[in-house]
Amino acid sequence: MVDPASSFLGKMLLEEITPVVMVLRTPLVEEACLKNGLTFVQMLQPFCVFNNIDVPVRTVSDQPYRLHKFKLRLFYASDIKQPNVEAAEEHLKEVVTRAAEKDLSDLSSDPPQLDDLLAMNSESLPLWFKIFNKELIRTLSFSEHEAFDHPVACLLVVSSKDELPINKFVDLFNTNQLPSLLNDGVMDPKILKHYLLIHDNQDGSSEKATNVLTEMRSTFGMNDCRLLCINSAKDGSEERIGSLWTPYKTDTSPSQDLGCLLNVNDVSEIKDLMQDLSSKHIIPHMEQKIRVLNQQVSATRKGFRNQIKNLWWRKGKEDTPDAPNGPMYTFSSIESQIRVLGDYAFMLRDYELALSSCRLLSTDYKIDKSWKRYAGVQEMMALTYFMLDQSRKEAENCMENAFSTYLKIGSTGQRNATRCGLWWVEMLKAKEQYKEAAGVYFRISSEEPSLHAAVMLEQASFCYLFSNPPMLRKYGFHLVLAGNRYYMSDQKKHSIRTYRSALSVYKGNSWSFIKDHVHFHVGKWYAFLGIFDVAVKHMLEILACSHQSVMTQELFLKDFLQNVEKMGKTYEVFRLQLPIINMSSLKVVFEDYRTYASTAAANVRESLWQSLEEDMVHSLPMSRSNWLEPEAKSSKKDKDSNVCVVGEAIKMDIEFKNPLQIPISISGVSLICQLFPRSEVAECELTEKDAHAHPYESASGEKNDAEELRKLTSNWELNSGVSSFALSEVVFSMRGGETTVVQLTVTPKVEGVLKIIGVRWKLSDSVVSYYNFDSDHVKKKNIKGRKKSSQSSSKNLKFVVIKSVPKLEGCIRHLPGKIYAGDTRRLVLELKNQSDISVKNMKMKISHPRFVIPGSLEDLNVEFPSCLEKNSNSEHNDVQPSSSKQPKSSLFSFEDAAIQGGTTFFWPLWLRAAVPGRISLYLSLYYEMENLSSEMKYRIFRIHYDLEVLQSLDLSFQISPCPSKLQEFLVRMDVVNRTSSENLQLHQLSSVGHQWEISPLQPNEAICPLQLLKAGQALSCFFKLKNCRKSSMFEGSISFHSLLQGHDVRLGPQGSDKALFDVSGSALADFHHHERLQQGKSIQGQQGTVDFILISQLPKNRADHGLEGQSDLPQLFSHHSCHHSIASTSPVWWLMNGPRTVHHNFTVSFCEIRLGMAIHNSSKEAISIRMSTLDVTSSDGQLSDVAAAAQDPISSENQGGWHNVSLGNDIKVTSDALGTQFGKSSSDVMAPFVWAASSSTRVELEPMSTTEVPLKICVFAPGTYNLSNYTMHWEVKLLGVPLSAGDRTRQLSGRSPGHPYYITVLQSP
Amino acid sequence: MASTACFIIVSRNDIPIYEAEVGSALKKEEAAHQHQFILNAALDIVQDIAWNTSAMFLKAVDRFNDLVVFFQEVHELYIKILLNPLYLPGSRITSSHFDTKVRGLARKYL
Repeated sequence: MVDPASSFLGKMLLEEITPVVMVLRTPLVEEACLKNGLTFVQMLQPFCVFNNIDVPVRTVSDQPYRLHKFKLRLFYASDIKQPNVEAAEEHLKEVVTRAAEKDLSDLSSDPPQLDDLLAMNSESLPLWFKIFNKELIRTLSFSEHEAFDHPVACLLVVSSKDELPINKFVDLFNTNQLPSLLNDGVMDPKILKHYLLIHDNQDGSSEKATNVLTEMRSTFGMNDCRLLCINSAKDGSEERIGSLWTPYKTDTSPSQDLGCLLNVNDVSEIKDLMQDLSSKHIIPHMEQKIRVLNQQVSATRKGFRNQIKNLWWRKGKEDTPDAPNGPMYTFSSIESQIRVLGDYAFMLRDYELALSSCRLLSTDYKIDKSWKRYAGVQEMMALTYFMLDQSRKEAENCMENAFSTYLKIGSTGQRNATRCGLWWVEMLKAKEQYKEAAGVYFRISSEEPSLHAAVMLEQASFCYLFSNPPMLRKYGFHLVLAGNRYYMSDQKKHSIRTYRSALSVYKGNSWSFIKDHVHFHVGKWYAFLGIFDVAVKHMLEILACSHQSVMTQELFLKDFLQNVEKMGKTYEVFRLQLPIINMSSLKVVFEDYRTYASTAAANVRESLWQSLEEDMVHSLPMSRSNWLEPEAKSSKKDKDSNVCVVGEAIKMDIEFKNPLQIPISISGVSLICQLFPRSEVAECELTEKDAHAHPYESASGEKNDAEELRKLTSNWELNSGVSSFALSEVVFSMRGGETTVVQLTVTPKVEGVLKIIGVRWKLSDSVVSYYNFDSDHVKKKNIKGRKKSSQSSSKNLKFVVIKSVPKLEGCIRHLPGKIYAGDTRRLVLELKNQSDISVKNMKMKISHPRFVIPGSLEDLNVEFPSCLEKNSNSEHNDVQPSSSKQPKSSLFSFEDAAIQGGTTFFWPLWLRAAVPGRISLYLSLYYEMENLSSEMKYRIFRIHYDLEVLQSLDLSFQISPCPSKLQEFLVRMDVVNRTSSENLQLHQLSSVGHQWEISPLQPNEAICPLQLLKAGQALSCFFKLKNCRKSSMFEGSISFHSLLQGHDVRLGPQGSDKALFDVSGSALADFHHHERLQQGKSIQGQQGTVDFILISQLPKNRADHGLEGQSDLPQLFSHHSCHHSIASTSPVWWLMNGPRTVHHNFTVSFCEIRLGMAIHNSSKEAISIRMSTLDVTSSDGQLSDVAAAAQDPISSENQGGWHNVSLGNDIKVTSDALGTQFGKSSSDVMAPFVWAASSSTRVELEPMSTTEVPLKICVFAPGTYNLSNYTMHWEVKLLGVPLSAGDRTRQLSGRSPGHPYYITVLQSP
Repeated sequence: MASTACFIIVSRNDIPIYEAEVGSALKKEEAAHQHQFILNAALDIVQDIAWNTSAMFLKAVDRFNDLVVFFQEVHELYIKILLNPLYLPGSRITSSHFDTKVRGLARKYL
C-alpha cells in the first residue's frame, strides 16, 4: 500500500487544501511587478511551496510534530469568490478544446494498437485529464459550506511610490472590495494581516521606503510589517532566472522575458518573505486558532453533559422549516467554528483532530438537515480517513454518503457531487480499485453536461483498461459512450480519438453492428474535419453490411460515395467487398489443343472428354503414363503451365455477388494481366521466384495489402499502355442481393508468358477496386483444364502463349433441342477454319452413335428424305455407306478431307432419336495442322449439345409359328402413339435380313385401315413372316449387307403410292446396326431372331406445327425393334402332311391313312432325329396328370399381346407350353387309333435340308383324332468339332412332343 | 408491455453465433448496435465471474425465476444444434428452426 500522501489524491490534497492568503494591493504595486511580465501573485507563487519548511507544530496535543511540506495559496481579494458558472464552463471547454488541438496531429496516423494500450499505465494517461479534473474541482472553490478555501491571512501590499502609504494600507482593507465571504459574515472578519511595502529599485534608492517601513511598524506593529525590494537587476548583467515562473504562467507569450528585472537578491528576498510569512505568521496563527477553537468546542460540545444539552437544544430547533441549504450558520456559530477547526487541523495535517471534529459536526448537520454542509463534512471525513490510511471502508462509506447526499439536494449540489466523485475515484485508484473507480466515473458522467460526461466516461474507460484483468470490452464501450458525448458537445476531434481507440478493441470481432457503428461514425467525423482519405478508409469497412436494413445500407453507401467524391480523385482500394467475388466459382476457360464449340462444351468435365477421345489421340500428353517412367523430354516448364495461343481469348468467369439489398452499378470490369514476351521469360521466372520467396517475410497483413495494391495498380497502368494483349471490359449493374457471372477475356497478341494477376472494377464510377487472385488464402478448385488440382492458383493463372495455330470453329446446323423418339433427320456439321493454314487428318468421335452417325459426303447434296427411299430401278441399292463397312468403331475418319485456311467445311450427320429421355451429345473432332513446324501438332474441337427426346411410338411384336406351314410365322404388331399431340402416319414395316420375308396376312388387303395414328391411339396389325432361307444360300459367310437386306410391307392406306424406304440404305442401316448393338448382345444375325423396322411419318399438311416449327422438313420416324424370337429354338421343324378329312366305309374295314412328316433341319450341323409314336392307351395315367395340371385351354403365352421376348429362357417355356397342348389333346380323343408301321423312325438330316418320313395310322371308327401322340427326339451331330464357348449354352439334344394334327374320319355312305 | 430484449449466444473468442431481438416493442434502427454494445461490454463481467464461480452452466446461471425456464429451454435447443454432426461448434447458428423456436420461447416466457 502506497503512502496516502504520495498517492495522486494525497498530493492533490496537499496542494489544494492549504491555507489561502488573500492579497490586497494598490495598482502601483501591480505596475512595478508587471515590468517583469508578472502580476504580484504570480511573482510570489514560485515561493509559496515549501518542500522542506521544517516547522514544529503543536495543535491540541502536547506533543509537537514537525511539518515538512507546506504550501500557501495566494489569491487577490477580487478572486476570492465563487467562480462564475458560465465562465467556468467556458474555461473547462477551453481546456478540452486545447487538448484536442494538440491531438490533431496524430488523427491521421494509425489508430493505437491494442498491445500498446495494454502496456499503458495510469502515469501515461493524457495530462489534460488531470488538468481538467483540477479545473472542475476549482469551479467549486471558495464555497460557503467549507472552510478550507477561506483565507487564513491577508497580505496587504502597498508600493513605496504610493502617496501616504499608511493610509493606503488602511484603505485597502476597508474598501468594500473585500470578498463576500468576509462581508456576509460567513467567516470571521478578524483575520491575520500582514503588511508589505514594495519598493521598485529602478525608482531610486530605498531610503524613502525604509522610512515608510518604520512608520508602518509603528502603526501596525513590529512584526507584521515588511519591506520588499524588487527590480534591482541591471539590464542584461544578471543571469536569467525567468524559468522559475514558467510553470505558473499559463498564457506565456514568448516575447516576454519573465522576471527580467529580478536578480538573485530579489528572489532570495521574496523567498525569505514567504518563508517568514508562513512559518512565523500563518502557521503559528493557525495553531493558535486551533487551540482556541478546540477549547471552545470542548467546553460547549464535549463531555456527556454538553452532548445531552446539544441534543436537547437541537431537538427544539426541529420545528423550523427546512431551508434548502439548511439553517444559516454565521462564523460565530459553533458549527462553523468546528468546521474551521477541522479544516485548519487538516491543513496542518493533524488528521486525528480533523476527523474528530468532522465527526462531531456531521451529526449536528444531519440533525439540522443541513444536507450540503453534511455532505461537505462527510467528504472531508472521507479525505481524512484516506490521509490517515485507516479504514478504507469508512472512507468509501463517507464518500458514497457525501456523493449521494450532494445528489439528493439537487442542482446546487451537483457539481459538488462531481468533485466528491473525483476525489472518490482518486481514492479508489490509489488503492488500485480501477473497476470501482470506473463505476464512480460513470455515475459522475450521468450528472454532468455532455462535455464533462464525455471526459468522465473516457476516464472511466481507462479505468477499465487498467483494471486487472483488463476489461477491454468495457473499455471499448465506454470509449464509444464518451465519443458520443464528445460529439454531442461538438468536440469531433475527441470523438474521433475515442472511437479510434475503441476500434483497437473491436478490431477483428464479429459483432457486426458494433463495427458498423464505430467505423461509420469515425468516417463521418473525419469527413467533417475534411480528412477524406481516412474517412473513406473507415467507410470502406462498412460497405458490405448485408445485415443492416435497406435504409442503413443506402445511407452507408451514399455517405461513402459522397466522401469519395469530395476527395476529388478516383479512390483505389484493394479487395473492395462490394460486390463480393466468389472465388470458388472462378473459372478459367482457355483453349490449348482442346478447343470448344460453345461454353456448354467447355463446362463438360474434362474426364468425360478424355474418355471419349482416348483412342482418337494417341499422343495426348496427358495419356496415363506410369509415374515411374521418366518424364518425356517435353519441357517441364510447359507442363507446369497452361498453354494458350496467340489471338485466342482466355475467358474467365467471375461470379460477383451484391451483398446489399440496394442496387449498385459496376463498370470497367476487366482483368489485370502481365505478359512477358518470349525474350523476357527468363526475367519473369526470376520475379516469380522472388515473389515466392517473399510473401512470408512481410508479416503485417495491412502492409501486405498496401503492397499488393501498389503492385496491382502499377500493373494496371502497364496494362493500359501495353498492346501485347487485349482486355475486355464489362459494365453491368446489380440489383439487391443479385449474383452475376461475368465473363472477362484477355487475348494475348504476342508469344511469351501471360499471367492473370487480378481483376479491377469501378463501383459507381468513383471507387476503383483491385482484386488479386494470387493470394495464399484463397484456394481455387474449379480451374478448367488442369488435371493436377494440387497446383497453386498462381500456376493455374499462368499461361504459355504460343504462336498462332489454326483453330476450327463450327457447329451442327439444324440440331433441334426437342425431338420425338424415332425421328430421323439429316444434320450438317459446319466447320470453319479462319486461319491461313489448312488442317488435315480429321477424325471424329461421337459419344452416342445410336443417336448421331456421320454420313457420307454424297448425302449432303441429295434430298431428304427421298434419299432414303428405295431406288425404283434397282432391286438392291448398291451404294454402301462407308461407315457400314466398319461399323464396330465409333471413330470416324474424314479420310483425306482437309480444310483450307479461310474456308468452311460441311459434313452431313444423321440424327436419330433412339430412346426417349435427355441425351447429352458429345462430339470430338481431331485435326492436325498442315505445317508441322508449329508448336501444336494437333487440336481437338469439342462440340456438345443437349437433346431432349420425347416419347412417340411404342412398338411390340408377337411372333407365333404358323400352324399350317413350315417356316412361316404369324406376326402381330402392336403400336401405340404416345405423343401428346402428334398424329403419325405409319408408312412401312420392314423385316431385316434376307432370310425373312414379311408380307401382309392377306395379300390384297390394306393392313392398316387407319389414315393416321392419333395421339394415344393403339393399333394392332398382323403379318406373315416367312423364313425364306434356302439351303443353297448357306455357302460361305453371310455378308453384312445380305443380313440387312430386308423385305418391306407398305402400311399406308390402300392405294398410296409413296415410295418405300430402303432400310438397307446407308443411314437407316447404320442406325439399325447400333440399335441391334444396343438391344441385343450379339451382332450376328441368329436365325432364331428377327428384327423389324417401322417407319412412320408426320402427315405433310399438319395444322399445328409440332415441335419447334420444323414442319417444313419432312419428318421421318424409324423405330427399330430387334431380336424378336420366332418362338422355337429347336433346330428341327416338322409338319405333318396328309389329308384332313377322310371318308371311309368302316363297315368294310378299318381305315388306313397315310401321312407324311416333313422334317427340316434348320441348324448348321447335321442332326439325327428319332421319331417315336405312342399309343394312347399305354400312357394315359401320366398324361392325364399333365392335363389336370394345365387346364386352361390355350397357354397364356399365345394370347397375351404384350410381352417381352426374352432370349434366355425360351427353351423351357416353349417346350412346357407344347407339353400342355399335348396332354390336353390326348384327353380329348374319343376313339382310339393306332400308329401303323414302326413305332420309331430314325433319320439323319444334313444341315438345312428337309426330308419326308412316311407315316401310317389305322383308324377303327369315325371321329376326329388328334395325331399328336408322338415325340421327336433330336440330337446334334458334332462330328468331332470341339464345343465352342457359345455352343455350350446351346441345346445339343432335345425331345419335343408332337404338334397337334387333327384328322376327321367320316363314315362314307 | 412494450419492451425489447436482445438474446445473443456468444461462442469462444467473443464470436456471436446467434442473435435474436425479441420483445414486443417496435424495432428501432439504433437498437441493434446498442444491444450489441451493451451485451459485448457485459461479457467482461461474465468473464470475470467465470473465474470465480462454477455456476456458469447456462441452465443454472440466471437466478430470475421467470428467465430460468427460458434459458433451460434454449439450452436444450442449443444442445440439439450441437448434436447435429453437420454443425461446426463455434460457427454461426443458421438453423431457421432454432430461430423460430427461440423466438417462440421468448414470446412465451419473456
